[in-house]
Amino acid sequence: MNRNRWPAFLRLALPLLALAQLARADSQWVLLQSTLTYHVSHPLHEVNGVSHAAKGKGSCHAGECDFLIAVPVKTFDSGDSNRDLHMLQVTRGGEFPMVIVRTRLPEQAAAAAAIKADLEIQFAGQTAHYSQVPFQTTTQGKTIRITGTVPSTVADFKIDPPKLLAMPIKNEIPVKVDMTWQSQ
Amino acid sequence: MNPKRAKFFSRLEISALSLVAAAPLLAQIGNVTLSGTITGPSGTPVPNAEISVRRVATGESGKVKGDPAGSYQIPNLSPGDYEISVTAEGFGTKVEKLSLTSQTSQTFNISLAAPAGPGAPSLADLGISPSQATGNSQYQAMLDRRSHMLQIHQRLGLITTAPLLASIFTGPGAKGHHGLPGSPSGRDLHAAFGASTAALYLATAYFAIRAPKIPDTSTRGPIRVHKALAWIHGPGMILTPILGSIAFSQLSNGQRIHGIAKYHSDAAFVTAAAYGAAIISVSVKF
Repeated sequence: MNRNRWPAFLRLALPLLALAQLARADSQWVLLQSTLTYHVSHPLHEVNGVSHAAKGKGSCHAGECDFLIAVPVKTFDSGDSNRDLHMLQVTRGGEFPMVIVRTRLPEQAAAAAAIKADLEIQFAGQTAHYSQVPFQTTTQGKTIRITGTVPSTVADFKIDPPKLLAMPIKNEIPVKVDMTWQSQ
Repeated sequence: MNPKRAKFFSRLEISALSLVAAAPLLAQIGNVTLSGTITGPSGTPVPNAEISVRRVATGESGKVKGDPAGSYQIPNLSPGDYEISVTAEGFGTKVEKLSLTSQTSQTFNISLAAPAGPGAPSLADLGISPSQATGNSQYQAMLDRRSHMLQIHQRLGLITTAPLLASIFTGPGAKGHHGLPGSPSGRDLHAAFGASTAALYLATAYFAIRAPKIPDTSTRGPIRVHKALAWIHGPGMILTPILGSIAFSQLSNGQRIHGIAKYHSDAAFVTAAAYGAAIISVSVKF
């Protein structure tokens, strides 16, 4: 009788242990610091707008991590308040004050030196998808630094290109990404 | 039914459905057939996806359904730029852009991302409240009004330079040369350009002053120089016509220009220089 109790106990304990292991496998990532830089090209002028105000979080479950990053449009600083307010206006930052980025990555991507991410970006009232955007990663302890460039365009978000002397800016507005995430 | 036959009929049915659904595209009378495979994040085919294509130039669109093996085919397309949108059960929607050439058969494979999992973070998890995430149409209207008024300010400002330059060039004709008085017609012409400059300048200034001020924004960059220079050309645009009218009446009475009227041309020169510098200070922006 007693000999039969062990297997019964194990039958109960093993799934519980497996569940506990699975629960322990869930992890979170928090965005520690970030620099997002958009680049605008005009035949007469080149402009960079920088924001350090992004907030982000990643939540991992069953081997997949969902990431959410949000940055207020008005935190991008190009060094000219007049231009920044004009950018805020043309990108409809009053109605849509946040740039929201979502992506899903396999949990083991954290260990890779380079990753390719499918991004969903909400901006200016539009949602654009970018496939397999390459990023470089550098891991140091519990932190990981991610750098890369999102190949965004004004057309992706149906933005009327601002003009200077009747000449519009170029369609391409690449956004350089430099983020440091910490695992928790 | 024999599984092979079942598979054949299933494909036939899907092909027929594809052709019917893509009927609006037939209107383009193109001979390009686009085909490809829809896969999930792990590379496995995604069955029965819905594929929509829209021709960017004309806005014409059509829809087809992928087969159980994840393949799709869209016939009768014309060369050009297209937007292709794919949705499938259990996956998010994906939108891609592609350019079709005149080649009759072209392939475009699409990899779908899995939708966010149940524990995916929300904006609230980032400490962003709904009020921060939600826009304000009044704020946008204020931004729109500001941009609109400043665009008029910019255009009027540039237009103002024409009578301003004309005033400068007609100045010597009004004042005279080498001790000889200028002609009455020269004075009238100069006064007319001067008055036009002042009127246009006031209109220009109105649109800058009345443009809505956006709360919680500090002035940074070249616009600071532009605004600072207004403290020179603003009073100058008031003082110069006053001194000019005194000089005008002195010359009309057969007198030489004397008293404070002697400073009319100096004031005009400083004002025009500050005005030009103000334009240049913001001309390298959009």
